[in-house]
Amino acid sequence: MSTHETTAADERAHSASDPIVEIRNAEVVFEMDRGVSRVLDDVSLEIERGEILGIVGESGSGKSMLASSMLDAVVDPGVLSGEITYYPEDGDPIDVLALSDHELRQLRWEEIAMVFQGAMSSFNPTMKIRTHFEETLEAHNYSLGEGMDRARELLSDLYLDPDRVLDSYPHELSGGMQQRTLIALSVVLQPNVLVMDEPTAALDLLMQRSIISLLEDLKAKYDLTMVFITHDLPLVAELADRLAVMYAFELIEQGPTQDILHDAGHPYTRALLNSTPNLDAPLEEMRPIAGSAPDPVNVPAGCSYHPRCSLATDRCVAQDPDSRPVDGDHVVDCHHWEDAADEIPLNHLANMEGDR
Amino acid sequence: MTDEPLVSLENAEVHFEEEQGLLDFSDPDVVRAVDGVSLDIGEKDVVALVGESGCGKTTLGKTTIGLQRPTGGSVKYRGQDIWDAKDGTGDVDIPYEEIRRSLQIIHQDPGSSLNPNRKVLGTLEAPLKKWQPNMSSGDRRREIVRMLEEVGMTPAADYAGRYPHQLSGGEKQRVALIRALLMDPDLILADEAISALDVSLRVDMMDLMLDLQEQFNTSFVFVSHDLSNARYIASHAGGRIGVMYLGELIEVGPPEQIINDPQHPYTKVLRWATPDLRTTGETEAPPVRKIDIPDPKNPPSGCRFHTRCPEAREACTQQSPASYANGASHRVRCFRVDDAHEYWSSPPVSDEPDDQRPTEAHST
Repeated sequence: MSTHETTAADERAHSASDPIVEIRNAEVVFEMDRGVSRVLDDVSLEIERGEILGIVGESGSGKSMLASSMLDAVVDPGVLSGEITYYPEDGDPIDVLALSDHELRQLRWEEIAMVFQGAMSSFNPTMKIRTHFEETLEAHNYSLGEGMDRARELLSDLYLDPDRVLDSYPHELSGGMQQRTLIALSVVLQPNVLVMDEPTAALDLLMQRSIISLLEDLKAKYDLTMVFITHDLPLVAELADRLAVMYAFELIEQGPTQDILHDAGHPYTRALLNSTPNLDAPLEEMRPIAGSAPDPVNVPAGCSYHPRCSLATDRCVAQDPDSRPVDGDHVVDCHHWEDAADEIPLNHLANMEGDR
Repeated sequence: MTDEPLVSLENAEVHFEEEQGLLDFSDPDVVRAVDGVSLDIGEKDVVALVGESGCGKTTLGKTTIGLQRPTGGSVKYRGQDIWDAKDGTGDVDIPYEEIRRSLQIIHQDPGSSLNPNRKVLGTLEAPLKKWQPNMSSGDRRREIVRMLEEVGMTPAADYAGRYPHQLSGGEKQRVALIRALLMDPDLILADEAISALDVSLRVDMMDLMLDLQEQFNTSFVFVSHDLSNARYIASHAGGRIGVMYLGELIEVGPPEQIINDPQHPYTKVLRWATPDLRTTGETEAPPVRKIDIPDPKNPPSGCRFHTRCPEAREACTQQSPASYANGASHRVRCFRVDDAHEYWSSPPVSDEPDDQRPTEAHST
């Protein structure tokens, strides 16, 4: 009996999570001439309060669709189904998909803010930066005085000169300055969650990395939960507490960052790690992933990665694998995850831990 | 490298005058995109140029292939000054047409460099028609199909009939690469040619460039903001990495030296900026005093990096460092390489309250 109790307590400890956003069985479908295009396929994910979650996937893996789904912002004629729940710090859970347009607009800026790549298209080119901040504050009935003080502080947190930036037009700022300004603008209404979709793409690496280190500071100072979506696994690895990997419109693996980097269970995640140019891995070992990602209209049956996977068996063709726990919070959707480490050694570990 | 370099830049300088407003009669601002760069590129050589946005690496690349006229210094192709050939000045040994054909470019965004209304076949026939007018149309097609197969675009006949919008980013870039190669060039400038691709697709594209380089005996100038890509391509090809900062080539040498033993503090910054899968999860602050690059219209005096350099001393604000040799093929523009330099006895620079990092001015 005591054994039984411990197990239950253990389970509670594991599931003693405190999600701020919960996504259950989210699915997005587009009806097309060529057939039904399922660009998000039964994705379930919890975003923990106060964490930095990295969502990693290649172009066309559905990662941006996941971001849009979080705020019920999927463009027509896409149809989103499933459950999206937002849990405020205090107060009742909010069913995001049941909100009116007005409520959704409030939630979007005041609770969950979004930053997309290409800051320039998010600004009105004829308006000074100051006006962008003022209009945002006014539209949400925030105090202008306090709000602009906060704007100045945020801009200087992001290594920008507030006066100079506020008096500029968007085109007068460099790409890196625009992107940081956009981050400041997204946080000025004091949201709890900041979702960023490729926020540093199109910037040079030095600016990308500088922004990453500033985000860490920003998160601590303003008590934010962050979701960082990117195709660039090494870039987000340093920032994120946890990683979720997408392949072919599904989440195929998630877990604490260090677990994914060292013990990725999914053959795709391991191939992705090995395909990334980096400064440490032996040059000969870096290799591209064979084959190409599937078309959303024609996703392979069973495990969608099976045509590209060196571990695939008949079982992978017949049966789509469920999520199974690897260790603690590390879960993977693969029938053969226990063999993946031996089959596909990770080359960035090659020189570090000696011979295996 | 053979005796005579394929392309040789000597003290090359490119200064742009900024467009002025219609009624603005003040002196125009001058952007110093490239300043005092000397660089030789050999046969089958690979030089990877790295640096931040706005550091002049693309302008330097374009100057190297004769697409950008230098405002000072010279650019020679096999000993022939490219711009003399173009202008017909002096004795022209190599006609400009031949130089243009020998020096090709592929751009960052292949989508915009391919004609959207032209099928792949038409796009690839154009250079052959121009440079090999005697080739029969059957031979042309066979050559194009062979090249498409070479880069892995099979079935080639199907790809030849596609429009650019029916190709993925990587496939468009392959078509652009074939188009450049069909000119039978000596040197190709790949200007951020893989930056728009997913990280996971970059090794594949670089492998392809390396294969073709081997097969066609082509040299590459590879422009990138990513040190790990520069390392990959330069190491495999036995080439060099050149680091640009505000128009100057501040360090150049073999990739393993640049990566494992960088001498210039700025190269160390780029090293820091390159993501590492062996992360411990701690983000370190950037090893620069300011994260934004200064305006190239008004580059800092002395060493141009002194306003951001964590090692800057007073000496750096006054004199511009010469290019010091550090071993046989590694050159660095930093006083720290010179043990006897007065830099070492000069006091560290103090940051005056400046316009980039306002100190806690608002928190009172």
